[in-house]
Amino acid sequence: MKYEIKYKPAFSTIFVTLGSGESITAEAGAMASMDGALTMKTHWFGGFFSALLKSWFGGESLFANTFSNPTNQPRTLVLTQSSVGDIEALPLQGKTFGFEAGTYIAHIGNVKLGVRWAGFKSWFSGEGLFKLQASGDGTIFFGGYGGISKKQVSGEFIVDTGHLLAYESTLKMNIGLAGGLFGSVTSGEGFVMKLVGRGDVYMQSRSIDGLVKFLRPKL
Amino acid sequence: MEIQLLQQPDSAIAKVILEANEEIVAEAGAMIAMSPHINANTTLRQGKGGGLLGGLKRLLGGESLFLSVFRSLGRSGEIYLAPDFMGDLLVYEMQGEELIAQSTAYVASASTVDVDLGFPGFKRAILSGESLFWLTISGHGPVLLSSFGAIYSVPVNGEYIVDTGHIVAFERSLNFDIGKPPGSTWLSTFLGGEGFVCRFKGRGTVYCQTHNPGAFGRLVGSQLPPR
Repeated sequence: MKYEIKYKPAFSTIFVTLGSGESITAEAGAMASMDGALTMKTHWFGGFFSALLKSWFGGESLFANTFSNPTNQPRTLVLTQSSVGDIEALPLQGKTFGFEAGTYIAHIGNVKLGVRWAGFKSWFSGEGLFKLQASGDGTIFFGGYGGISKKQVSGEFIVDTGHLLAYESTLKMNIGLAGGLFGSVTSGEGFVMKLVGRGDVYMQSRSIDGLVKFLRPKL
Repeated sequence: MEIQLLQQPDSAIAKVILEANEEIVAEAGAMIAMSPHINANTTLRQGKGGGLLGGLKRLLGGESLFLSVFRSLGRSGEIYLAPDFMGDLLVYEMQGEELIAQSTAYVASASTVDVDLGFPGFKRAILSGESLFWLTISGHGPVLLSSFGAIYSVPVNGEYIVDTGHIVAFERSLNFDIGKPPGSTWLSTFLGGEGFVCRFKGRGTVYCQTHNPGAFGRLVGSQLPPR
């Protein structure tokens, strides 16, 4: 299987070539176009109950599609996201990562996707009660609004709410105020996420919140 | 005329160099900048898809009633054209065959190109859920089309499936059929966020866009206050 993420960073799109017998699973709606000879099977996103949880709390679709190549020639498939921004291919290599709602696009190989309780801290900061957790040794594709930056945290790191995409489960997440109470309100920064420990964190350079705040007075 | 596409694929702008007394027809509002000796006129367009009826059809399709005609007087001049959306641009050279395009994709064309709103081949277009109108483009000369997302072309030889929200244009030589995605159920189509797909067969080129304006609109719009 080959994949290439083209048109970075604003309109990142995954161009996949599936060899004979290979498959890839993607969230419903991710397929932009594909070779007519590929099969597409729609199923619950990880089991019925798990799909419901993911949909209600994880902001994901109830359904996922698995694309397979039953022919003996390589066939192409184009996968994309609703958002305008970058896509990252993350080989999990046995690690576990937590993903914010709506960031999951697709995965190849051995990836176990579950919904985990993110804690009230996460909900309070607007990041949701639950998060999508992925583990295994396959590769997961996720995206966001804007460009994606990666930081290897060792100690403590702060990420503004609305800009967090994914973080390794070895990191502990706490919510805090940007400055003191007054500083947080006046600076407009509000709540922030404090990540403690060792692990990788992925951030997006823009937030939908930011775009919404910009557009609201113009409507 | 010569058309150069700059800033692809996310902020594409077309730099058109017109010869002396050559003209280009464009969507109202597409002109960003131009040489001072280029004359701008509004028109209802001549030929197929023209006249008052053509203008009214354009209104229905979400476009403006009038079009602008830019003519470079006396000597060659340049004009910069761009669409409203962030995205890509495509120059397609019409050579007598028909090209079917999304109505929102049209930006400009030579006056020897006919652009007619409506495409009778899509009987089930209403079902597609994307409020798309289609244009039948014919004639000779260049046509400038825009997209949301980058434009990638697929030369079809066999069968190719495209989500209806991702089609920019396709050659009329292709056979096509709109339906639900293969392997999905009606339940998943309505609840699952999958729209409809168009299945292309035969030989011809399909021009696809990497992103779906409806999907991005819903992502942002769901957080905006109701109007």
